[in-house]
Amino acid sequence: MNTKTLLYVLKRVALAVLTVWVVITVTFFVTRAVPGGPFASEKAITPAAKAALEAKYGLDKPVMEQYFTYLKDIVTEFEFGPSLKQRGRDVIDIITDGMKTSAKLGVAAALIALVSGVILGSVAALRRNKIIDKIIMVVTTAFVSMPSFIIGSLLLILFAITFHILPANGNADGGMILPVITLSLYPMAYITRLTRSSMLDVLGQDYIRTAKAKGVSGNKIIFKHALKNSLIPVLTYFGPMLAYIVTGSLVVEQIFAVPGIGRSFVNSITNRDYTLIMGTTIVLAILIIVMNLVTDILYKVVDPRINLE
Amino acid sequence: MKKILALLMAVVMLFTLAACGGNNDETKTQSLAVCLASEPDTIDPALNSSVDGATLVAHLFSGLAKWAQDDAGKLVIVADAAEELVEGVENEDGTVTYTYTLKEGLTWSDGQPLKASDFVFAWNRAASPALAADYNYMLDVVKGYAEMWETKETGEVDEEGNPVEEFVNPDAKLAVEATDDRTLVVTINNAVAYWNELLAFPTYYPVREDVVASENWATDPATYVCNGPYTMTGWEHNSVITLAKNDKYFDAEKVTMPEIKFYLSDDANNMLTNYKNGDWLLIDDVPTNDIATLKTEYPEEFVVAGQIGTYYVSWNINEDILPASSTLTGVEAEAAEAEIRNALALVLDRNYIVNNISQAGEVPASSFVAMGMTDADGSEFYKNAGSSEEYDGYFNASADAFEDNFKAAVEVLKKYYTYDEASAKFTDVPALTYIYNTNDGHQAIGEYIQGAFAAVGITVNLENQEWNTFLNTRKNGEYTVARNGWLADYNDPISFLDMWTTVSGNNDVQFGKGEHKDLAMYSVDVTDLGVDLKVENGTWAETYDALITEIKACTDSEKRYGLMHAAEDLLMSTGCITPIYYYTDIYMIDDSVEGFFANPLGYKYFMYTTIK
Repeated sequence: MNTKTLLYVLKRVALAVLTVWVVITVTFFVTRAVPGGPFASEKAITPAAKAALEAKYGLDKPVMEQYFTYLKDIVTEFEFGPSLKQRGRDVIDIITDGMKTSAKLGVAAALIALVSGVILGSVAALRRNKIIDKIIMVVTTAFVSMPSFIIGSLLLILFAITFHILPANGNADGGMILPVITLSLYPMAYITRLTRSSMLDVLGQDYIRTAKAKGVSGNKIIFKHALKNSLIPVLTYFGPMLAYIVTGSLVVEQIFAVPGIGRSFVNSITNRDYTLIMGTTIVLAILIIVMNLVTDILYKVVDPRINLE
Repeated sequence: MKKILALLMAVVMLFTLAACGGNNDETKTQSLAVCLASEPDTIDPALNSSVDGATLVAHLFSGLAKWAQDDAGKLVIVADAAEELVEGVENEDGTVTYTYTLKEGLTWSDGQPLKASDFVFAWNRAASPALAADYNYMLDVVKGYAEMWETKETGEVDEEGNPVEEFVNPDAKLAVEATDDRTLVVTINNAVAYWNELLAFPTYYPVREDVVASENWATDPATYVCNGPYTMTGWEHNSVITLAKNDKYFDAEKVTMPEIKFYLSDDANNMLTNYKNGDWLLIDDVPTNDIATLKTEYPEEFVVAGQIGTYYVSWNINEDILPASSTLTGVEAEAAEAEIRNALALVLDRNYIVNNISQAGEVPASSFVAMGMTDADGSEFYKNAGSSEEYDGYFNASADAFEDNFKAAVEVLKKYYTYDEASAKFTDVPALTYIYNTNDGHQAIGEYIQGAFAAVGITVNLENQEWNTFLNTRKNGEYTVARNGWLADYNDPISFLDMWTTVSGNNDVQFGKGEHKDLAMYSVDVTDLGVDLKVENGTWAETYDALITEIKACTDSEKRYGLMHAAEDLLMSTGCITPIYYYTDIYMIDDSVEGFFANPLGYKYFMYTTIK
């Protein structure tokens, strides 16, 4: 790594920290500004009980003081505090629990999308304008244009209700299959199309013609020369794909009742569980920021011609 | 490439096969899978305030009393940890003292003996400001509770200018003591009809001091020490809570279901799918749109049970609904508005709502105190409400009476608004905004109200709000008309009536607040009941609040119920409560499950079930 690259990385990390701080600040004040509170319910608690609860969680202090206390706890101890709604549970435990499930879902979906996307894209490019190419293009166009809640509901009706092959509930044995498929279809279709066009582009390059002229075997051309170079655009899609999977899982986890962080996130907002809203937002923001950073740096590693500035 | 594709297909198929495996018949009868709701916020008996959480806690803990089914299948309250549910002894000052003896040899799930002092600790903890539990007030009948929550102003003001208050007696304790390991003596302020029912309520369950010392005790099966028919053996958060039979429970031999799995989901569609699949044998919610089909498809399994609650519309008493041309002010304006609101209540066809919109077997309501509440003589409280001999409640809610009601309403409204005979509509009623929380069911009822009011020329704008925002708007009185609902905590009408006192946190109507505070227009005379309370043209505080205070202090059952009828009469005269229907609890239970029962509060009991 040369100095220029190092400088670039440092700059990006500084920017990432700044972004996280902005996210924390905006989220903190927006949640406090939204009407309602963590202790509201259809059956209101007495004002004395509410005051006692607010004192217990430090919500009776001025908002600015709460903000600085929160920042201090985050920076010095990475301490998210207790959940205001699920009494007795710490935010970090809730996030860790949800993350275990969400990570399984996300990683599986990303892998499936990558592997099958690259395979299907290559097949389509190599069989250009043949029937298989046309089928792949039609199907991927459909998946790219259908939102995940529609695909999810369709799969649910088809496999869980009509045929009874797979469970509808994300907790049951094999319950993750449908959510993983739902979540992977869009990025898979996208990667397929990306791989196809970039493969076609590479296949038309001079060095491929040279290889062919030299009598290199078909497989070797594809795997050694064409595929490797056609994957660079796919790599650039890695960051956006992760963002899609993180945000998409909010919807998919709801449809299939998958106990992931997405559900905790959505519920924490409805409940005004301030500490949990903050915790999930910060973790998801860091995740997306870090993955984007890694993608950009990898990009440079794969293709030295790319100028990071 | 084909090979790779084939390989991928094979992997997917293997996954699928793995998913199809699982339960065989043997294990299916030994474990009951149900789904009531999503993850409970807490299953600490003192902190819980949800119905599904209470169901879990009722399986895990054993209080002095419990709900049970007698041989005839009737619901009764019987002694649980107590040897018997004794009669109280009335003291000279009107307080009542009960002395309970615990059954011999009771233990906690970790083997330690259960002591009377555990109840003393648990009750003081549940009532305390330090814990600040939602249901702390369930212990307000116990002597000493009022002292515990007594506050005084410190003289300082907070950021918003409200006076800062502090507790006067930070060390106050309830009048409950353990005279030895098995004897518990408790004194309550006055005789209450529902005392035994309170003893069966989760807030009254025992917890052990060393167990709850850690705030996280109730979130982990390893630290969850209980004393009931079951113990918690697993909690996968947002997924499933597993209970296994507790062999240390004194009545364990009667418990027939070895394991119960409470799946956690809040998605009615998801619940129904799992029910249809046969994965879950009881689900506590179904999608509203499917109710009609389910009723015919599963006539035996779709259950509509009574629940003590009322769905109603609340009006903000401080919002002006008179025409712009009206010259009425103060007391006269409010009297006119009360008459108008009561008339508008008659424009709604409740039978249409329950038969065509909500469709879950609800009963059209004509009173605020719900069906299912018993009166002093054991009859239904709502049947004795109002003054009419012909019908129950404050107006005739039967389908036949609707046309007459409608005509009567129009006649009343003609007194205040301009009526256009040609179009049969009023022309100068101010437009109203009806708010409800985002939910298909509430929206459908809102749309019905919109249509029904439009029929007499009144414009209603619908506005839906996100749940927490909605609660805030309604509580602060920033609305004109709002969807509302109330479920009782125990079988006594006071749980419907004390929420309308001026200081109550549930006083969404804003009685006694703002302009209404000074309106001296209500009259109460309960001297014929032998109670010294007669007010003419008093304010809300002087009349309604005073009535509630009398009710809470009254020890004579007949008098007390008389006072509660008087309070409801006054409440309904304001027209600010427009009852729509009495709630029902709908659920689906597979016909292979036997021995299940539920109580009127909606708690479900699975310990005595078997699966055919």
